[in-house]
Amino acid sequence: MTFGKLIERIIQLIPVLLGVSLIVFIMTLLTPGDPVQIMLGDQLVTDDLERSLRRDMGLDLPPHERFFTFLANAAQGDFGTSFYHRQPVWDVIASRLPATIELSLMALLVALVTSIPLGVLAAVKKDSIYDRLATVGSLFGVSMPGFWFGILLLLLFSVHLRWLPVSGNASFASQVDPITHLLLVDALLRGRFDAFWDALKHIILPAITLGLPMTAILMRVTRASMLDVLNRDYITFAEAKGLGKFQILAKHALKNALIPTVTVAAIETGSLLGGNMVVETVFGWPGLGRLVVESIFTRNFPLIQAAVLLYAVTYVLLNFIADIIYTILNPRVKL
Amino acid sequence: MNIQRLAVIAMLAGVLSAPETVAAQELRVGFTADALTLDPANHRDRGTETIIRNMFDGLVTRDSSMKVVPEIAEGWQALDSTTYQFKIRQGVKFHDGSDLTAEDIKFTIDRLVKENAMGGQTSPRQSLLGPITNIEAVDDHTVVIKLDSAWPNLPAMLPFQEVVSKAHVERVGEPAMADAVNGTGPFKLVEWRKGDSVIMERFDDYYGGATDIAPVGKACVERVIFKIIPENASRVLALLSGDVHIINSVTPDLAREIEAHPDTDVVAVNGTRTTFIALNNQEGPFADIRVRRALAHALDRQIIIDRILYGNATLTDGILSPDAFGKNKDLPGYTYDVDKAKALLAEAGYPEGLEVTLDADGSTKELAEVIAVVAKRAGFDIKVAIGESSTLKSRYRTKGGPIDGQMWLTSWGNGSLDPVGIFVPTHRTADRGNSSGYSNPEVDALLDAANTETDPAKRAELYSKAEAIVSSDLPNIYLWVAQDLYGVSKKLSGWQPSSDSRINLHDACLN
Repeated sequence: MTFGKLIERIIQLIPVLLGVSLIVFIMTLLTPGDPVQIMLGDQLVTDDLERSLRRDMGLDLPPHERFFTFLANAAQGDFGTSFYHRQPVWDVIASRLPATIELSLMALLVALVTSIPLGVLAAVKKDSIYDRLATVGSLFGVSMPGFWFGILLLLLFSVHLRWLPVSGNASFASQVDPITHLLLVDALLRGRFDAFWDALKHIILPAITLGLPMTAILMRVTRASMLDVLNRDYITFAEAKGLGKFQILAKHALKNALIPTVTVAAIETGSLLGGNMVVETVFGWPGLGRLVVESIFTRNFPLIQAAVLLYAVTYVLLNFIADIIYTILNPRVKL
Repeated sequence: MNIQRLAVIAMLAGVLSAPETVAAQELRVGFTADALTLDPANHRDRGTETIIRNMFDGLVTRDSSMKVVPEIAEGWQALDSTTYQFKIRQGVKFHDGSDLTAEDIKFTIDRLVKENAMGGQTSPRQSLLGPITNIEAVDDHTVVIKLDSAWPNLPAMLPFQEVVSKAHVERVGEPAMADAVNGTGPFKLVEWRKGDSVIMERFDDYYGGATDIAPVGKACVERVIFKIIPENASRVLALLSGDVHIINSVTPDLAREIEAHPDTDVVAVNGTRTTFIALNNQEGPFADIRVRRALAHALDRQIIIDRILYGNATLTDGILSPDAFGKNKDLPGYTYDVDKAKALLAEAGYPEGLEVTLDADGSTKELAEVIAVVAKRAGFDIKVAIGESSTLKSRYRTKGGPIDGQMWLTSWGNGSLDPVGIFVPTHRTADRGNSSGYSNPEVDALLDAANTETDPAKRAELYSKAEAIVSSDLPNIYLWVAQDLYGVSKKLSGWQPSSDSRINLHDACLN
């Protein structure tokens, strides 16, 4: 059943990807800025060299030809060559993707483990000091610019206390042979607890910075839906049955209250990939977000194309995962 | 229960604050951007070159005063105006232990200048070597470079090219050169963690480097790590926290934080990038020379340098840096004179003042706003419009086509400090960096003549003349050459910043 649905979703992806490709391509045509001139910068140039670079970049072809060549190659998994790295786009992206995935998952984890208990607490003790603090705190979390918050954390934990490193995702001394390319996971799989600890020290500040707005939003959503659920008849009925408070919350209320949280979490996880850019820049995190933004500034069209496609696929997949989690939380929901 | 909890917290705190175990001789550099590739022939990027120049040496290099000195070459001579002979040092080894020969030099240059020489592609660095047509290895230790036409700039451009091993390139293949390093430099590659760091260790069989730059010998530190930290504030924090020992691209405001810290210092070097305001000479108010001159008189450049750049810039009249070859030191210049500016504006038909728009990008926003304020007294009502840098470039650098805009706060870098890299592109008719639509056949002729003049004195004279004409025509408002600022740990010794923005760590030591 689920597998059939997965195939269906994948087939639905095709028009999405075609549409995204076309839109991105048209935008690259409309954006002013010549990649050849950007690459050459302020240095000495000859006309011959400009011509040969334009040829290497495939920019000497008419637009429709460029687009169809891109589609034909992309269908075979070849996304072209990055203008400035002069290496296959996919290799460049693949070298940065694991760090972004790891940071996003960590931020998601930070957000979930803090927001759900806080949201439940705020709902159960409605109008108490906890509730007030949580409400004010979430306002703070949503409105705090990630850039500023990140620098504050660095000032405190890296410069004053010197507990945590300022940048990067691992120290040179704690290298682990890659298996999954996710450093925390690889360190555990290889039994290297020193490397795990090192990776954790590197990831914690960026994960908190990236996860903060999501924590705030999820907490508000959890609180609201929890309040709604707590007023339902079945909760009153459970109370009447004489069930313990904890049992009511954990078994009856939370499971239903989490459905909106899951939806929002899935959507927000998609936007984590975009929000990465600021956090990756502040913490020198070797991820994809920074690379994509640099590519936009330098008009590195093949890389932009491939990265946007990747983001589109991610969004579709995340939505699908959210749908599956629904069915687990609420068996009445069918895919 | 409580005691248990306390114990856990105490343990955590203990682990958290345990000092990192770091080898004593590991020098870390906080650097703005990652290398695009580690292949010295396959990029056109200053940052990439800065990183890989520590693993690859060139035929020649520069000392800290920017003088070109032999490195892998023993020396060179011009046999005639189009033929240069280089003698190659003996005993230079690649990181894999093989000996460097004249064949490697020939291979390196061929790979850079010959069409399609890199697995069907042409090196993007080709034009940096101008009219080289041929290179021959005469014997194991001599190469002869032939030029298509006289090009006195050759020695000044060679420090930007690094030597690769022929056998290595043929063995690993062109695509693998992106991260398979086998150079002759003081450090060899350990690992390139893309986006995060480039890790190198000392090459113990290093031949010693340029004999004119003391000390000669293998590098001082055992390991070097270029850590990529793109954000300015984070880079400074990494320096202050002791994570790194050198950081590049320090902004003047952050420099004061670094100076205030007991463990760190700021070191400055004259940069090579001239900042100027490009004016649209084709149409609009700035087509009138009186308006251009009025603006020049309206700007108190020194006060901007003092207050906004905290003194970290040198005034320049004209596009050439005061350090550049052929700089005309006697340009009359345009002094700050509000009355004169007002008079010129009135004469040009704007007695009530003039409303114009100044384009700038995010990195120059603050300066543009200050310029607007300063020029107001003379009657210029300047609105600042912030655009994105690549877009602005395509609006102003039109190669002679119509310019879309009135004035643009911009700059042009010139690592070689030779006028050919800055004067020609920004002022020759319809050249690629000409952002004002300026065209003066007399200037074009002087620049062309200088390009092939082999007598340095005569060549300098030609540039000097051209700069005098430009100063009078005033197509742009020339502002300053900013200093490049670096933050360094006080533990660091033996390292000096370099005007061409390279960070060579051969002589750097940690105490």
